[in-house]
Amino acid sequence: MNPVFRKVSVTQQALVLNQALTLCRATPSIQHPVWASVNERQYKTMPTHGIGRWKHLLPKEVPKKKKDTTQKKQIIAATDTAYGTLNVKVSGYDMTLVEHYSQYIHNLCNRLGIKVAECYALPTKTTEVMLMQEQGTKMYVDATLKTHERVVQLSSLNASLCPVFMDVLLNNQPEGVQLSVKEHTEADFQARFKGRPELEGLIAQMNQ
Amino acid sequence: MAAPCRRMASRSLLQIVSSFSRTAVGNSGFRLFSNTSVCRAIVQTRFVPERASSPWTLKAAVCLQRLPVISADCAPIEQQFKEMMHQMELEKSVLSDHELRLLEDAERMSRKRADDYDSDEEDNHRDQDIMLAQDLEDIWEQRMKNFQPELRVKADVDKDLTSLQRCLADSLILLAEQQVGGEKLWLLPQAQWQEGETLQQTAERALASLPAAGFKATFLGNAPCGVYKYKLPKAARTESVVGTKVFFFKAILSDKGPPAATNASFMWLKRSELQRYLKPAYMMKVERFILGL
Repeated sequence: MNPVFRKVSVTQQALVLNQALTLCRATPSIQHPVWASVNERQYKTMPTHGIGRWKHLLPKEVPKKKKDTTQKKQIIAATDTAYGTLNVKVSGYDMTLVEHYSQYIHNLCNRLGIKVAECYALPTKTTEVMLMQEQGTKMYVDATLKTHERVVQLSSLNASLCPVFMDVLLNNQPEGVQLSVKEHTEADFQARFKGRPELEGLIAQMNQ
Repeated sequence: MAAPCRRMASRSLLQIVSSFSRTAVGNSGFRLFSNTSVCRAIVQTRFVPERASSPWTLKAAVCLQRLPVISADCAPIEQQFKEMMHQMELEKSVLSDHELRLLEDAERMSRKRADDYDSDEEDNHRDQDIMLAQDLEDIWEQRMKNFQPELRVKADVDKDLTSLQRCLADSLILLAEQQVGGEKLWLLPQAQWQEGETLQQTAERALASLPAAGFKATFLGNAPCGVYKYKLPKAARTESVVGTKVFFFKAILSDKGPPAATNASFMWLKRSELQRYLKPAYMMKVERFILGL
């Protein structure tokens, strides 16, 4: 019985679909050598071919550039009705307060529609508090304090929105946190980079 | 409103470099302000030969605010949440350097007391033997006990409306009693606009001309934050004057100045107390820009 059925399934596969399927499933091991000899990829003609494909439905993604260095952004100058690039610097000893306050400022700007150009952190500065000993002249280390700084850079601020924005910021300023609003200059941007002593030495030699 | 608006548009913007710091050890509870205007543009007064005279007189008023000095107390639910978060963080946290040292010292002490103690096996802990971590803790505890913090809320100071130290947890607004058209009213300090100056300069003048002067203020911006229109009663209306328009500017108190004699011509009020002293129509416009934080 089996050989008869096998021949039927191979020749009439395209027409008798359902039957062919059930027959194929019933005798999988026997069919492989038959198909290998028939030099055709029979399964591509099946209506369910490619049924699981989904990657072609996604939008085309541009591959991301690996190099993501701090690009130099344009410093916007002030106009008649708006301030230019402003640096809102938050600094303090308590890291959680400083971080949360800078996040609050960022979220507030998003809500008010103020465009935030960048949001970065400056390196932590460690201060050692040294006290004089009661009997003697030696100083001993009493405490180490770390000053954390976060900067939120705004690309432009409307002059009419400025008093409201500053009022909200000042009313919500936590204790122990200093707030400073300054204009962004070239020197501020260059201060973020590490110094290169060898390069400076070579330049000095060249200029001599 | 043609003239002053045009003037404000023609001058280039004041570059304000300001830094505000809030430290616990302030000078009598004020925030340290440093305000240097990088380039203060000179107002270009364009001479306009013919100007349509508007029937409104212009005034500029200043809304001077003393910012809160201490943080407000937590609501009961905030207090509970704070305690819960603190407990969770404590349970999840790792031992710090100081705590590890405490444990090590305790261990070493117990090892020294044991009979088979060999001091040569010990690592070099000379410094730590002289001053144990426990001793350091005791010294810190002692210092903490000697420190006397100030009271957060003083009831008698709170009641004095002219004192600047009242209600440290809220922001206070300055209110002055001024003569307006024959009546003495409580309102934000204002002054009449004069030719040749900007509205903000008028507001600065209003602040300086207060009898109990000496307040140093930082103006938050060049643009006004509110306006109040007032039409004179029909009897007082003339051809040229229909009413007054008052523009409000926001400013933050930066320095108190010398204590003035106690004449009750000015008050420091919280936002909720303003209603008792201001006229209803005026109050409606003013409370729009005073933040209720």
